[in-house]
Amino acid sequence: MTDDATFTLATLGVLSGAIGTYLLLPHRRGRAKARTLYVAGGLFAALGLLGFLLLLTPPALSPLGELVSGAFFYVFAAGALGCGVMTVTSRNPVYSALWFAGTVIATAGLFLLADAQFLAAGTVIVYAGAIVVTFLFVIMLAQMEGKAVYDRAARTPGRAVFTSFLLLWSLAYCLVGLSGSYRPDAAGPEAAAEDRLHPGRELGPHFFQEATGAGVRVVLDKALRPTSSLFAEDRGDSDAAILKPNVAGLGEALYADHLVTVELAGSLLFAALIAAVLIADPRPTRKRGETA
Amino acid sequence: MGFFVDNIWLVPACPLVGGLFAGFVARRVKIDPFAPVAIGVGLAFLLSLAAYAAADPEKTVVVSRWIEAGSFVVPLEFRVDGLSTLMLSMVTFISFLVVVFAGGYMAGDPGYPRFFAEIGLFVFSMTGLVLSNNYVLTYAFWEGVGVCSYLLIGFWYAKPAAAAAAVKAFLVNRLGDIGFALAIFWLWTVVPNHDLSYQNVLADSTLQSLPEAARWGIPLLLFWAATAKSAQLPLYVWLPDAMEGPTPVSALIHAATMVTAGVYLIARSTPLIALSPEVQLLIATIGCLTALLAALIALTQNDLKRVMAYSTVSQLGYMFMALGSGVGSLARLAIVAGMFHLFTHAFFKALLFLASGSVMHSMGDVIDMRRFRGLRRRMPYTCWTFALGALALAGIFPTAGFWSKDEVLVALGAAPHASREIGFGMGWLYGPLYWLAMLTAFLTAFYTFRAFFMTFWGPEKLPGPDDPEAPPAPVAAHDHGHDHEDHAADAHGHGHHEIGLESPAIMTYPMIVLAAGALLVGLLFGPTGLFEGHLEHTLGFESLPAAGHAFTWTTPIVSTIVALAGIALAFVMYAEPSDLPARVAAAVRPLYRASLNKFHVDEIYDGTVMALLRGFTLGSRIFDVKVIGGLVQGVANVPWAAAKDVLAKYQNGLIQFYAAASALSVAVLLWLLLFT
Amino acid sequence: MTDPFSIDLLTNYLLVGAALFALGMLGFVSRRNLIVMFLSAEMMLQGVGLSLVAFGRFHGNWTGQVFTIVILTVAACEASIAMALIVVLYNRKESLDVTLWQEVREEGVGPTDLVDEATQAAPLEHEDGIETYPTLTPAGLEPAHPIQPWTERRR
Repeated sequence: MTDDATFTLATLGVLSGAIGTYLLLPHRRGRAKARTLYVAGGLFAALGLLGFLLLLTPPALSPLGELVSGAFFYVFAAGALGCGVMTVTSRNPVYSALWFAGTVIATAGLFLLADAQFLAAGTVIVYAGAIVVTFLFVIMLAQMEGKAVYDRAARTPGRAVFTSFLLLWSLAYCLVGLSGSYRPDAAGPEAAAEDRLHPGRELGPHFFQEATGAGVRVVLDKALRPTSSLFAEDRGDSDAAILKPNVAGLGEALYADHLVTVELAGSLLFAALIAAVLIADPRPTRKRGETA
Repeated sequence: MGFFVDNIWLVPACPLVGGLFAGFVARRVKIDPFAPVAIGVGLAFLLSLAAYAAADPEKTVVVSRWIEAGSFVVPLEFRVDGLSTLMLSMVTFISFLVVVFAGGYMAGDPGYPRFFAEIGLFVFSMTGLVLSNNYVLTYAFWEGVGVCSYLLIGFWYAKPAAAAAAVKAFLVNRLGDIGFALAIFWLWTVVPNHDLSYQNVLADSTLQSLPEAARWGIPLLLFWAATAKSAQLPLYVWLPDAMEGPTPVSALIHAATMVTAGVYLIARSTPLIALSPEVQLLIATIGCLTALLAALIALTQNDLKRVMAYSTVSQLGYMFMALGSGVGSLARLAIVAGMFHLFTHAFFKALLFLASGSVMHSMGDVIDMRRFRGLRRRMPYTCWTFALGALALAGIFPTAGFWSKDEVLVALGAAPHASREIGFGMGWLYGPLYWLAMLTAFLTAFYTFRAFFMTFWGPEKLPGPDDPEAPPAPVAAHDHGHDHEDHAADAHGHGHHEIGLESPAIMTYPMIVLAAGALLVGLLFGPTGLFEGHLEHTLGFESLPAAGHAFTWTTPIVSTIVALAGIALAFVMYAEPSDLPARVAAAVRPLYRASLNKFHVDEIYDGTVMALLRGFTLGSRIFDVKVIGGLVQGVANVPWAAAKDVLAKYQNGLIQFYAAASALSVAVLLWLLLFT
Repeated sequence: MTDPFSIDLLTNYLLVGAALFALGMLGFVSRRNLIVMFLSAEMMLQGVGLSLVAFGRFHGNWTGQVFTIVILTVAACEASIAMALIVVLYNRKESLDVTLWQEVREEGVGPTDLVDEATQAAPLEHEDGIETYPTLTPAGLEPAHPIQPWTERRR
């Protein structure tokens, strides 16, 4: 695909997507829209989605595995984006939340395709399982009456659509140009794995130069083993790189290289827990010195 | 001895450490803050004695490096020669006695630890001042003395009069500091190597190479500095007010640590000053006028401490007369006379102030001499030590004042002759100065004994609330607004004891020691030549011309007769209560009024200098508010006005708007990056 | 020896991530329901996470996934606190409308009061079709329950 064609395609796709989304969004003043408008909006949005998917590089056809995974990629991408549009445009917040769950599931599928199985499962559990349920819970709690004016009215839909689709168009244009312009070091996965992401690991031996005892050395070897690579050390006879077992590798990376990060994240969760309990406490705050 | 001289820095360090301890630690470890300061100053005195015995004109001790900027090097260096050790011993001795006295006097004051901390700092500054070996270091300690005097004069800062007096002292001293600073700057430009140490500045080769203007300009500037610190015309006005501070502070300032600094500076710089006989004549003239004016004011004051304060100004005038009379061959004699008078004056003036403080302490903080009388039986120690001090101040044989005042007069008397020798045409002016000094001696004897008789003689009378001179009774216990003639018994912690009792031993013993000093130091040091002999160990002293002056009987006899006449007149007028003083006052009413109102000097300053300054201040203020402030405001108003009309309406408080704005900005930025 | 995850594949992932991000932005900016706004914010985070995972896979290390896990954590925290805040805000004004909360605007600027416009313009009568909201079938009698103070406050 030439650059001009890409440019035209991106512009057209984004434009029709923008028109479709605008039509699908609630009316600015909360008026009811005609059904034809919705249909037209759905058509335009589908057209935009199609154009957008055409922007993506198609998978190779020869090994069946790649073809299948490429097809699944299209399915999941289309699902994620379609559900995303519906999330944004649904008038009922309950539907929004449910569509968002769909987005999350589709994204989890994309994670799977990117060899991040643990994350896929985690996303589904945390987002679709926990967060969406929390949202739904709050919606039920807050909107027991059901209909609300503000759900049926969008705020400045035209300007919002213009803004976000201008952003999307710019991003897409950059990214489509990316594949031709940038190549990482051609040495393959080994060099990629040796990315100098962990200078701290290389500093270790300098600090422990004086460590002479055999026990210390064993401990150091265990502790300072490279964990950052996605790929297994022992590649066997296969030509292609073999990935490490996902959960084991991720766990090793998390708890060897990013231990502090994990601890920090845990502390953050704990703090958020306390904050949520404190903020949402319905009892009136007692002033100091006031008796119960 | 060598150890003490090599570690002469211990002398300033001891009071400093004592003061810091008293201020910050003593109360926490339950030690009387008086003790560390007394011990520190006492130790400093003992060390000074050791240094006194080992004085050497060339001996300097480098304590540490201080300022080093290229070729300009000022070390923290002390000089242990005759002049500095003399001052050191005197300062630490008097300070020690004053500290002991203050231990009794200040007991019960809420600011007790602060007082001793500041006293320690004060003694530190003064000892550092007399020890330092270059003008810059001297200047640093000079400022330190000024700050400490400010702190101590304003010790009872809640009292408006004390606060005002402190500010006045500080500001007037700043005025003098300008002169000192200018003198240092000028010296820096003219001396070789920019080396401001005494041995360099006062060396013969340096003095000979000075440019013509500097030969009289620098001495003039140094004298300007000294007039402020040592309370000479026209900058003497702070000293009489300085007695708003606690009495021990007055004693310290007036006798030992503050006002002597200017005299010391001039004495130290004598080889420089002697280059210009005109400046010397000016110094003598100013000194004489100051002495006379202060004596005239002292004649009519009713406040005992104020009389003493003006007598200090007057006696400082004497010292400057002596220093100023060192023309030609008299230089050495002049320094000896001036320093000797400073030395003896320290003893009897400290004594007189402590005795006044004792009276005040005993009278329940009343110091107006009209409100008490005939205290000699109630307060025998105070009375007789005061009498000795008064005799010394009047210059009666054989007290200390007799010997030193005599030397001053002898130097003055010989000055016209010495001027003729070096061809200084205006030298005849010293003649009138001599006779004015004699007149001042008469006045001194008169007002001193006026104070003495009014306080201790005649029928006994104690201050009561129904005295006609008593200030109106304060409405509330903590009313600070009324006139502080009674020195604010409420602010001061010891207005509670019974009045009319002799002071405790801790206060009388220092007075007795000082009285012995006032009686004996003149006899011990003057005729025996000890004092002159010691001063010969001073830097640059041997290069000064020394004329063997013939001892004449005229001056001592005349001055004694004059002093006796003054005492006699005071006895006639004030020994018993009578209407004689009132009739005399009525006879010379304008003069009396002028003297009582201190010749309106403060008012004149207020009307001229202060009015000018106020006008200038007002102008500056208007300039600042209107021009500078307007400019700043105007510049600030431009974006404000622009934002108010254009940008404010986008600040609508809606979070989505902000999010949209930032998203749009990112998109546009990206777009610009892509296509430009 | 090749890695199947080529730069073209990376570009695909990044494009999808960017699209999710932009859609989330659209929702955040245009929707007035606080909860939907937060859902949109979560969608933006999804897009970012997708990009990070793809980058990590492309470079052959775990950092992208680790970063995504951190984002997941932060999103969970954000959601919990946001829900708590929304409940508090709802208790104050009995509405989830974000346009009610514009008190921090500049002095002299009028509120962008879309609520009133909407109530004037839109009839709230029941309509069939896409505007219909689901209704729950009544399930028997409502049990008597004591009125708690915190339920009262919301009324």
